[in-house]
Amino acid sequence: MSQSSQIVISGVGVLVPGADTPTALAAGPAPGSEPVAPEQTVGKKGLRYKDRATQLAYAIAAKTLQDTGLLDADGLTVPAESVGVVASSNLGNLDTVTRALDTIHAETVSGTSPMDLPNASSNVIASSVAIRFGLRGPNLMVCNGATSGLDALHWAATMITAGRVDRVLVLGVEPDNDTVRRLFGDDRAVVDGGAAVVLERAEAAQQRSARARAVYRGYRQADDVRSCIERLRALDPGMEPARWQTPQTGSGPLPDDLLPGVPRDGFGPARASGALGVLQAVAATAWFADGGKGLVYAVAGADVAEPAAGVALLAPQGT
Amino acid sequence: MNQAITGIGAVASIGRDVDELFENLCAGKTGHAPLRGFDRANFRARHAYEVDNRPAEGQDVPGRASALLLDAVAQAAKGAGLGEDLSGVPVLVGTGLRELRSLELWWRGEHQLTEKDLDFGPVLRERFGAVQAHTFSNACSASLYALAMGSDLLAQEDAPDAVIVAGVDVLTESMHGLLERVHPQAPDRVRPFDRNRTGVLMGDGAAAVVLRRDGFGEQVHGRLRGVAVNCDAYHATAPSPEGIAVAMREAHRMAQVTPADLDLVMLHGTGTLLNDEAEAVALAEVLGADRARPLMTAVKSMTGHTSGGSGLLNLVVGLRALAESRVPPTVGLDDPVDEAAGFRFVTGAPHNEEMTLMQLNAFGFGGINAVAIVEAGR
Repeated sequence: MSQSSQIVISGVGVLVPGADTPTALAAGPAPGSEPVAPEQTVGKKGLRYKDRATQLAYAIAAKTLQDTGLLDADGLTVPAESVGVVASSNLGNLDTVTRALDTIHAETVSGTSPMDLPNASSNVIASSVAIRFGLRGPNLMVCNGATSGLDALHWAATMITAGRVDRVLVLGVEPDNDTVRRLFGDDRAVVDGGAAVVLERAEAAQQRSARARAVYRGYRQADDVRSCIERLRALDPGMEPARWQTPQTGSGPLPDDLLPGVPRDGFGPARASGALGVLQAVAATAWFADGGKGLVYAVAGADVAEPAAGVALLAPQGT
Repeated sequence: MNQAITGIGAVASIGRDVDELFENLCAGKTGHAPLRGFDRANFRARHAYEVDNRPAEGQDVPGRASALLLDAVAQAAKGAGLGEDLSGVPVLVGTGLRELRSLELWWRGEHQLTEKDLDFGPVLRERFGAVQAHTFSNACSASLYALAMGSDLLAQEDAPDAVIVAGVDVLTESMHGLLERVHPQAPDRVRPFDRNRTGVLMGDGAAAVVLRRDGFGEQVHGRLRGVAVNCDAYHATAPSPEGIAVAMREAHRMAQVTPADLDLVMLHGTGTLLNDEAEAVALAEVLGADRARPLMTAVKSMTGHTSGGSGLLNLVVGLRALAESRVPPTVGLDDPVDEAAGFRFVTGAPHNEEMTLMQLNAFGFGGINAVAIVEAGR
C-alpha cells in the first residue's frame, strides 16, 4: 500500500464501566464497575432531551476528538467539512421508540413530547454528534447487527479512499436499558458505553502532526468466522497475526483450531453488539502503544457459523 | 464517474412494481387512505399512504419492511439478470426505521423478536444467500446515502462487479405519531411546496437498483454520474438551506455538470412546513438563472413520505420518466410557496418532454443531505 493511500487510526477514545482509557480497556474492564456518567466528560448542557446512547456518544466523541487534536478549547482545528461521522449501534433509540409507543397507547399522541421526534429515527446518534461538534462531512449510521462496528470502520475507510473526506470519527455505542434487556430475555448487561477512533488518510494526519496509533490494513467479510479469518490472511500472505480480538459469540468458546497459537482477546462479559468492532480497534491500539508488533485481527459475528466481518490492523510505522 | 444501473425494482402504496407505480403516478393516483395498521383513535392524523397487504384492517403484522425490501430487490436483481442468487453481490439497504415496526409489535406482546430481526441482513441471506448485506439507518436520506456507499464500493481497486442498492420503510406508530405531534394542526395529505400544505404523512415503500461498474451488453436504465453526501451539523429537525446547497453543488461538481444541463429535478418535497422551503431556497440559489429550466416534480404527493426509501423510489421513477419522456405531476400543488416561484413544476397532468439528465434530492433528520445526478440510459 502506498503512503498516499494509507489509512491510519489517528485518535482513540473509550468509555465503558471500568475502563476510560484504551490501556484499561485492553487490560479488561473491571467487572461490577459503576455506570459511566457522560456529564462528567461533556457537562450537563444539551443532554436533557437526548437518549442514553447519544449522551454516551457525546462523551466518547469529545474524548476521541480531543485525543487526536481535532478539537481544542476554540473548537475544531480543521475545516468542518473535512470530518465525517460513521456511528454503529443496534440498540440505540429502541428505548425512545418503545416509550413513545407506550405514551401513544396510554394517552394518545397528545401525550408525547415533540422533543422525541428526532430520537425516534435511528440515525440520531450520528447526526447529534455532528451537530454538537460541528462535523459537516458525510454522516452515516450503521445498524448492521453483530458485525456493525467493523462494518462502520469499513465504510469510513471506503469514503476516505473514494476521496469524499479526509477523516472520519467512527463511533460504536450501545446503551443498557429495560427495552434491550427485555429483548435479550435475560439480565446479562449490555455494555452501556462504547468507543471511537478517528480513521484518517495518513497524509492528512501527518499534515496536522497527528500521531498514528495503527495502520488500517483492510476489511473482509465471509459466511462464517473461519472463512473470514482465511480472507483476512489473504490480505498479507504468510504473515501470521500477532493477536486476535475475538467475536462475542452466542454459543460459548471458540474452537481451538481457529488461529491456533495466536493470543486471543475478548471484550468482556457485557454484550457489546454494535460497539464491539470499535472497542476491538481501540484495544488493538493500546497493544501497539505498549510495544506490540505485527498484525492484529478484529473479528465480529453473531456466532461461529454466522456471517462475520474482520478488520486487520498493523502497528504504526516507526514503532 | 459513469456507473450503469442495470436493474430496477419498486413497491409502494400505488404500485407493486415499477410499471404499475409509474402508470399510477402519471395518472395522478394517490395511495392516500385511512390508517390501516394502527388504532386510529390514538392519532389526530388518521391517514397515510400504506401498502394494502395486511390480513385485516387494523391488524398489523411484523416483518412488513423486510417483505417490501425483498420484493424490490428481487425485481431489480431479476431485471439485471442476477436472479435469486446474490451470494457474491453486496446489498446495501438505506432505511429510516429498520424493522422498528416489528419492535413495536413485539413490545406490545404481539409476537417474538430477537436482536437479529432489527436489521435486514438475515432476511437477505435467507432469501438470496446474500453474504454482504449492510443496513444504513440514515433517516430520510438513507437510500441515496446507500447509493453513495455503493458507488464508492464500485470505485475501489478490488471492487465487485455489481452492487445492489435498496431503500425501504414502513410506518411505525412512534414516528407517525411524533411527526404529526410537531404540527399545530394534524396533516391531512401531502402537498409538497403548496402554500396551504399542512405537513407530512408517511408512506410504505421500497425500491432497489443494480449498480454495475460497466453495463455493456445489458439493458442500461441509466448512468450514475455522482452522489454527494454531507451533514448540515445545524439542527436535529430543521434543515439548513446552506448545507443543502453545498450538497447540490458538490453533486454537480462530481458529475461535471452545470445547472443548465439539468432537465429534471426529482424533489425531496415532503410537504412539511420547514423542509420544502429550505429545499426551494437552496435549489433556487444553486440553479440561479437556470431555475426555470428543468422540470420538477415531487411524487410524495402520491406515495406519501416513504422515509429512507424515498430517495431511491425517486430514482426509479425518474429513470422511467427519462426513458418515456414523461413526468408525473405533483398532485395537490396548486399555489407554490414564494421560495419556489419560477420553478417549472409539473402539475395537473403528466408532462411529455425529452430529457437526459436529472437531479435527485433526499434530506434527513440531523441535516444529512444526499444529492445524486443521473443520466438517461440511452
